[in-house]
Amino acid sequence: MATTVVTSADIASEAPRSDFGRVLAQRERRFAAALLAPAFLALLATTTFPLLFLIYTSAFRTDLAMPFTNGFVGFENYQVLLSDERFWTSLLVSLVYTGSTVALQVIIGLALALLVMDMKRGQGWFRVIAILPVVLSPAVVGMIWRTFMLAPEFGIVDFLAINAGLGSKNWLGDPTLAMVSVIAIHTWQWTPFAFMVLLASLASLPEDIYEAARLDRASAWQRFRRITLPLLRPAIVMVIIMRTMVALTAFAAIFTVTAGGPGTATEILNLYAYRKSFTELSIGYGSALAVALLIVTIIISGILFAMRRAR
Amino acid sequence: MTSFKPTRRTLLKTGTAAAALATFGPGILRHASAQDADLAPYKSAQIDWQQVSGETITVAVIPASYFENLITLAPQFKALTGIDVRFEKIPPAQIRQKSVIDLTSKTGTYATHAADPMYYALYAANKWVEPLDTYLNDKSLTDQAWFKLDDIIPAWRSANGIDGKLYGMPYDGEVTIQVYRKDLYDAKGLKPADTLEAYMSNAAALNTPNDRVWGAALRGVAGAGQNMYIYPSIFREFGGDWMKGGKLTVNGPEAEAALAWYVDIMKKYAPTAAANWNWPDIADAFSQGTVASYIDAHSSASVINNPEKSKVIGKVAYARWPKGPSGKRTTSIWNWGFPINSALPEKKRKATWLFIQWAASAETQARTAHRFAGPTKRSGVNRTSVWKDPDYIKLMNGFGENFVEAAMGALQDDTDVDWRPRVPQWPAIGDTMATAIQSALSGQATIKAALDDAQRRIEPMMRG
Repeated sequence: MATTVVTSADIASEAPRSDFGRVLAQRERRFAAALLAPAFLALLATTTFPLLFLIYTSAFRTDLAMPFTNGFVGFENYQVLLSDERFWTSLLVSLVYTGSTVALQVIIGLALALLVMDMKRGQGWFRVIAILPVVLSPAVVGMIWRTFMLAPEFGIVDFLAINAGLGSKNWLGDPTLAMVSVIAIHTWQWTPFAFMVLLASLASLPEDIYEAARLDRASAWQRFRRITLPLLRPAIVMVIIMRTMVALTAFAAIFTVTAGGPGTATEILNLYAYRKSFTELSIGYGSALAVALLIVTIIISGILFAMRRAR
Repeated sequence: MTSFKPTRRTLLKTGTAAAALATFGPGILRHASAQDADLAPYKSAQIDWQQVSGETITVAVIPASYFENLITLAPQFKALTGIDVRFEKIPPAQIRQKSVIDLTSKTGTYATHAADPMYYALYAANKWVEPLDTYLNDKSLTDQAWFKLDDIIPAWRSANGIDGKLYGMPYDGEVTIQVYRKDLYDAKGLKPADTLEAYMSNAAALNTPNDRVWGAALRGVAGAGQNMYIYPSIFREFGGDWMKGGKLTVNGPEAEAALAWYVDIMKKYAPTAAANWNWPDIADAFSQGTVASYIDAHSSASVINNPEKSKVIGKVAYARWPKGPSGKRTTSIWNWGFPINSALPEKKRKATWLFIQWAASAETQARTAHRFAGPTKRSGVNRTSVWKDPDYIKLMNGFGENFVEAAMGALQDDTDVDWRPRVPQWPAIGDTMATAIQSALSGQATIKAALDDAQRRIEPMMRG
């Protein structure tokens, strides 16, 4: 690309037209604003307003079961929340769920991407097959796993477990196994996303660096550790950020598979907020829980973004 | 979670109905239009059916065959009253939420809806629905001698009433009964259980997982209409009292004994998967021959007698709920009733009442049950007189041995209005209890800890 050098003469020649130019620019800006306005208003109405309304609702006691007790309570819902054991349990469940699914997705996704990169044939097919789980609706995924895969005595996973000598397990009825199962389901569904992103980044890495490393007799592990990982870092961090935000607010698959059960073993914060609001009809407290989830998500993503900028 | 009731059954029935309609459709339609003219049984009522002619009302129901039959007859109602009825079908899992939202916002979208009996306390406390006595006692709106309120099953009426006032008119309902495999019981010389203890020992005798037959199954999945559909019966049978000394109590020795019995039978003699099963899953397993007995709604009989899927037709028999240590049998009080939305203008309320009166009348009940022209007949009619009708009995006895006796006995003698705590806070209480029961079942908490925790969580809900 040729570089344009701006000389003082050029600027001088522009000067007489500047007034007209400013008016034109202003008009153009106004026109752009007018074009943008509907979309902007729609965005305000569908994202910002509900959010503000959520925060507003959380300052009230809004109990459909006992409307005579409704009224402004300020921060009371949040005070109750801090001493609500089930809130802390569900927050912990959310963090365990998010942490483990994201870690698994990145590790398995990266491993798959490295494997597929070396494939000489059939890469295209593999990509198509791998992407399938992502396009399924989480609720459908949940139903499939609940009935075909995990049902004791009747499901495929249990059949495999029995044949592997592990015996029949109550996959969704045992608190620990239920947690493992929902983590496995989420990982199964979303690993392809990490895989595709990492594969694309891998494909764009410069070959000459590897060439140089090979000449220097760097081992495969050294090349991975010293070249691939650092170069992939931005992509990996991006995957972690995106998957974390989604995993924290996961809902449909868990809702259909365990509905938070057995007991509260897989009740992530989002599910607890839903149950409080729509099953127990305590809209105010449910809103406070949703706001708490929002805050947690913002904090965690903030930390991740900060880590991305560091170094 | 709300209950997820007749989805599979509905699907089956709609499928069968569609197939049958394609085959016999023209015949049925001719039949239906012939009935249009036959409004004489309604016209014998001493009221002016046409008094609010021209009104339009919207009725929310669940997609189930018993409402489909009613929808089929709606043209007759239009011919009789001049009132247009628009039906909206909402799955059972959402109908409670949708109607509560409609009632809270006072938009009056649904003039009436298929209502959960446990919600009337909530509706009445908020004055969201009308007390029905106003309408029943208005001579211009109701001919009491014709309508015969007393004929409607008393337990369902009291379930839909608060402090003696009726808020919803029962349309279709069910009772919980024992369903068992007669062939397996006979082979071992067993009798249907008379007590919970005997039920457990029967289950033990028949439990042979290696042959893929389990002794028993009860609803295990958590939810106010799921595991909390079965547990309240056991709790009451063990002598439990929801409102002990006027205070809502869910823990204590009776509750612990009841929950222990439930957890015990589920862990020892039910398929492991049953911990996550609702009634369609149980009925499916039973119809595949893998469960020797279960206790559930009598309406699931149609699933286990579906000739396309069931392998146990002709081998099924029924008995009443086994007695508990307190000597009581306690079945459910479940029914879908129709309340009147208070947010409606007066004329529409009248129209709604005329619709309810028509739907709950003996004539319509019979026309949607054994006298229905289509392939699926109702098994949950609301009237004692229909339950005693020989044609209806003949139809019901097709479900298996002792079906009518068991269901009738349960309807008359085993119902218990205080089956579940009838308070406005029920949605929250039911969900909390459901979670507690499941955490005890899964071993996440001990029985006592689960119940004590539920009590701790429920107390602040009751304080208001």
